[in-house]
Amino acid sequence: MGSILYYTLGAIISFILAFTVGITYMGLDRKITARVQNRIGPPWYQNFLDVSKLYFKKTNIHQGIMQHMGAAFMMVTAVMALLIVPIFNHGHFFPNLNFQGDLIFLLYIMVFGQLGMALGVGQTGNPNAAIGITRGLSQMTGYEIPWVLALVALMIQYKTTSIVDLMNVQAETGRWLMFSSPFAFLAAILAMLGMFSHAPFDIMVAPNELASGPISEYGGKYLSILMSAGAVFMFAKLTLYVDLFMGGSSNLLALLIKTFSFFLIPVLYGIVSPRYRTEQAIRYFWGWPSLFGLLAVIQAVILK
Amino acid sequence: MVFNDKNSQKIVDIIENYARKSSLWILAYGTGCGAIELPPTVTSRYDSERLGIHFGATPRQADVLLITGYLTTKTLKRVIRVYEQMQDPKYVIGFGSCTINGGMYWDSYNTINALDRYLPVDVYINGCMPRPEAVLAGFAKLQKLIQAGKADGANKYKENLDWYRTNQKKVIPNWRMPEYNW
Amino acid sequence: MNMIYILFSIFLAGAILTWVADKISGILRDLFFLLTVLSATTFFYLKIPVGYTTNITLAGLHLQWGITAFGWYFSLIVLGLGTMAAFYALSYMKGKERLGYFYFNFLISLLSMMGILMSRDLVSFFIFWEIMTWSSYFIVIYKGKHVQRSGINYLLFSAIGAYAMLMAIVMVYAHTQSLLIPDMIQAFPFFTLSAKIWLPILFLTAFSVKAAMMPLHVWAPDAYSDSPMAYTSVFSGALSKMGIYGMVLVFVTMISYLPNDTAFRETFAWLGAITAIMGTLWAIAQDDARKLLAWSSVAQLGYIITGVAIGTELAILAALFMAVMHALFKGTLFLVVGAVEKQTGKVKFSEVSGLIRKMPWTFIAALFSIITLAGIPPLGGFVGKWMLYQSLISSNHVILVVAIFFASTAAFLYCYKFLFGFFLGQEEPEIAHVREAPLLMIIPMLILSLLESILGVYPQIIFRPLDAAMQTLGFPATQVHFWNTSVLFNEWGNQVALKPLFYAVAGIFLFFFLVLTIKGWKTTRKVSTKDISTSGEIPKQNENLTYSINFYQPFLRAVAPAMKRRMMTYYREIGSGLEAFFDYTRRLYSGNGQTYAIYVIIFVVLLLLFKNSLFS
Repeated sequence: MGSILYYTLGAIISFILAFTVGITYMGLDRKITARVQNRIGPPWYQNFLDVSKLYFKKTNIHQGIMQHMGAAFMMVTAVMALLIVPIFNHGHFFPNLNFQGDLIFLLYIMVFGQLGMALGVGQTGNPNAAIGITRGLSQMTGYEIPWVLALVALMIQYKTTSIVDLMNVQAETGRWLMFSSPFAFLAAILAMLGMFSHAPFDIMVAPNELASGPISEYGGKYLSILMSAGAVFMFAKLTLYVDLFMGGSSNLLALLIKTFSFFLIPVLYGIVSPRYRTEQAIRYFWGWPSLFGLLAVIQAVILK
Repeated sequence: MVFNDKNSQKIVDIIENYARKSSLWILAYGTGCGAIELPPTVTSRYDSERLGIHFGATPRQADVLLITGYLTTKTLKRVIRVYEQMQDPKYVIGFGSCTINGGMYWDSYNTINALDRYLPVDVYINGCMPRPEAVLAGFAKLQKLIQAGKADGANKYKENLDWYRTNQKKVIPNWRMPEYNW
Repeated sequence: MNMIYILFSIFLAGAILTWVADKISGILRDLFFLLTVLSATTFFYLKIPVGYTTNITLAGLHLQWGITAFGWYFSLIVLGLGTMAAFYALSYMKGKERLGYFYFNFLISLLSMMGILMSRDLVSFFIFWEIMTWSSYFIVIYKGKHVQRSGINYLLFSAIGAYAMLMAIVMVYAHTQSLLIPDMIQAFPFFTLSAKIWLPILFLTAFSVKAAMMPLHVWAPDAYSDSPMAYTSVFSGALSKMGIYGMVLVFVTMISYLPNDTAFRETFAWLGAITAIMGTLWAIAQDDARKLLAWSSVAQLGYIITGVAIGTELAILAALFMAVMHALFKGTLFLVVGAVEKQTGKVKFSEVSGLIRKMPWTFIAALFSIITLAGIPPLGGFVGKWMLYQSLISSNHVILVVAIFFASTAAFLYCYKFLFGFFLGQEEPEIAHVREAPLLMIIPMLILSLLESILGVYPQIIFRPLDAAMQTLGFPATQVHFWNTSVLFNEWGNQVALKPLFYAVAGIFLFFFLVLTIKGWKTTRKVSTKDISTSGEIPKQNENLTYSINFYQPFLRAVAPAMKRRMMTYYREIGSGLEAFFDYTRRLYSGNGQTYAIYVIIFVVLLLLFKNSLFS
């Protein structure tokens, strides 16, 4: 009983941390974009205001039970991903049900929310929303290939499917995996561009073309929960990248610096990029990123 | 301190209103020529995003409906539908003199003259066309009203729905709107 | 009296009685049908324990029937799914013609599958295999638009498989002078090398026809979608598993003894993976729900074949677990399509949408099955997927695991298409009259989907019989003590604990669901699906805006090169080539006496020329 309470407390604390950091990063993203475009830009806490404004909306509408639940599904994915990815190197303070952080489980739980959310989106009956979902799912088949290649390379090289073990490997050898498995790192980074659905891979939401796609019928509390889930999920993914390739982090400052430097990659790449069409995006991911993934696998097989 | 107290309600109101006023999402719906003033307002020169003002894509997400200039009766029907799809609290800004008295289209057969008779307007922005500075000034006014809790056009619309409906039906000949249950 | 005789007699007598009763009264026929299935199932599980065998001598041949733990494990699929589909069939088939014929063949195919599982000798195995083929063929051609073509395809490929198996049986008999399967297994390591290579190939050809492996799959999509859905659920769920049953036997008992078995295993694993990928891509392109599920069955069996072919302990565990899960979810999904077909008369995604409010229970069954199909935790599909990936990774099949992963990621596309196409989207006035399917159809679907979710948290329910089955195959006892705690382990000791995961998912979901529900309970309202943001335009009542035509066009464009060639075209080319060749040989018979005289002279001359070499 005590351990359950302990886990729950850890979960709540890490949720708050992830929410705060994730929303702040989203605000910083807007700020950076504004500075690149020679604007002043919104304050860094703008997204907090957006989320709370949406939450304070007085009326809300939904088109049916699946849409009502859609945001909760997304939240499940976000929080589960957060709980499975170890936030700090020595998980005393954040034991977080991490089950040794199994990577395959993580890959699958990441889809849980997206499928649930897609169902909610489907129920709205808005054609733009469904089009957005088909694009998102199609793009997912694109970036999963280099991403899985990178992960499989790490898994077979170090004979483990657990994130914790991979972090321990880096702690023992003293070398970050981004240096000892550079090809896996490259493939994963390129896959990350698609995973964050930031420009140029944002055809899924394309605000001017699809009326923001999947979320076009979401407003008020639903959009608010959805944005929070997005922020938490983003932080979980960033932490995963830090754990895999930068050896995790031992304190809050290191965590923030490392996650933010990873966060900058899609942001800076996205600012100066136009938008890929879906099939172009898919073919892009099946090109160079997958080649790097293959090289990573070859390296792993040789070094094993 | 007791919850549901008047004072605590006041504090909650202040926080809520602060969030509302600092995050105004415009529905990207250009009804007339005034829409051309919006791109300079949101881009680098005037940068409305620093005030939390940027575009929302659909009425479900948006807070502010801009009536940018003259409004034909044909567009009015669509605007009414869009307005009713937006979620409370929602605000309307009348843009340019056409929304006040018809402006240069005052005697046109197919535009409306006073927007106020069809939709509850919270803030008018004067001019033909109002420049981005004027637009930003209008938004500042709206933000002040929201912080004070006085931008309650939506409530006014709900209370006087019959009156608005009568006016709307008067100018829209083929009134075939779905029934809303709000 | 022998118990196995009684079981077969129940089936046979029940089938004939059902057929006869059809001439008398419909209720009597339904009663007999249901009674047969139920009594046979109860009889089997109560009276025939694992290890029960009986010997028969028929026309000088020594035959043996009996049930091993391995067969018993597959009987769970056959009888479990069979019972559910039987209940469903009563309601689904109501009002259709020639029901006696349908029920007769339904029962006979259940009989034949049980017969296959209980045959301990090759002759009865072959006979039951043929009965299975024929009974399912009769149901494929029962009713439908293109039954002639799909029936002939099915029969042709089954015939190829049957001949292959017959040749293999003859070879075995020539080597061992015995037809018993245990004898064959014992003698196999001492066969000649060519026999060692040819026997598995012949057997695997036979089995991969039934398991619809590429390139022998072309019958499957048509045959699955043309038979009535109540039977397709058994057809795809249980009957195709007979192929897997045989494959596991061949891979474990024969291929392990080959001097160089890696080539075999790799080839079949890759064929399985290609089956999975291509099946998935074709499933995504379908507009007909039955075709989508049929292609998806092909794809799912591809995973299972890969697992079987890899042949490590974890891989076979995964494959056998996935076989049960596939029976559960694909059985349910075909039943769902049947329910939709029965209630609306339509099976195409572009013709029907927005059924969720009309058929909520059907939707729930479909949702659970789809989540299981996609392998998303915390439902049962994840357990199988996880073990399959782990087995592939730990046995160093790196590219294979990526191929499988791609197939199952792309599977999300058709999963979503299935749910969206039928149940979500805008409601049409045309479906205003549609109601929920009858209770007799709902309950089997819900039972099956409940099982899926239970197995996701307590997979040990299946792992216990599975472990016994694995021991029959000669594997050491697996980690039963781990299974008891619902924790999955891979070969490196990494683990996933299912129970806390389930509680965590459920807890988080409930919490946010409550937050969403309670917040603004009074001011939250539901609007119709016509009330959407359409740039101010007002969709008319009969105007359906649901996006269902060219659903995954961008994706299909991206993978177009892979789908340009179809296996069917190659078969057609072979067919027309043969036809041309035969047409050419036909010309030899010109009908002219002089020509025939020349043939005789040429023949004699040839004989004389090669006299020395021929008759020396």
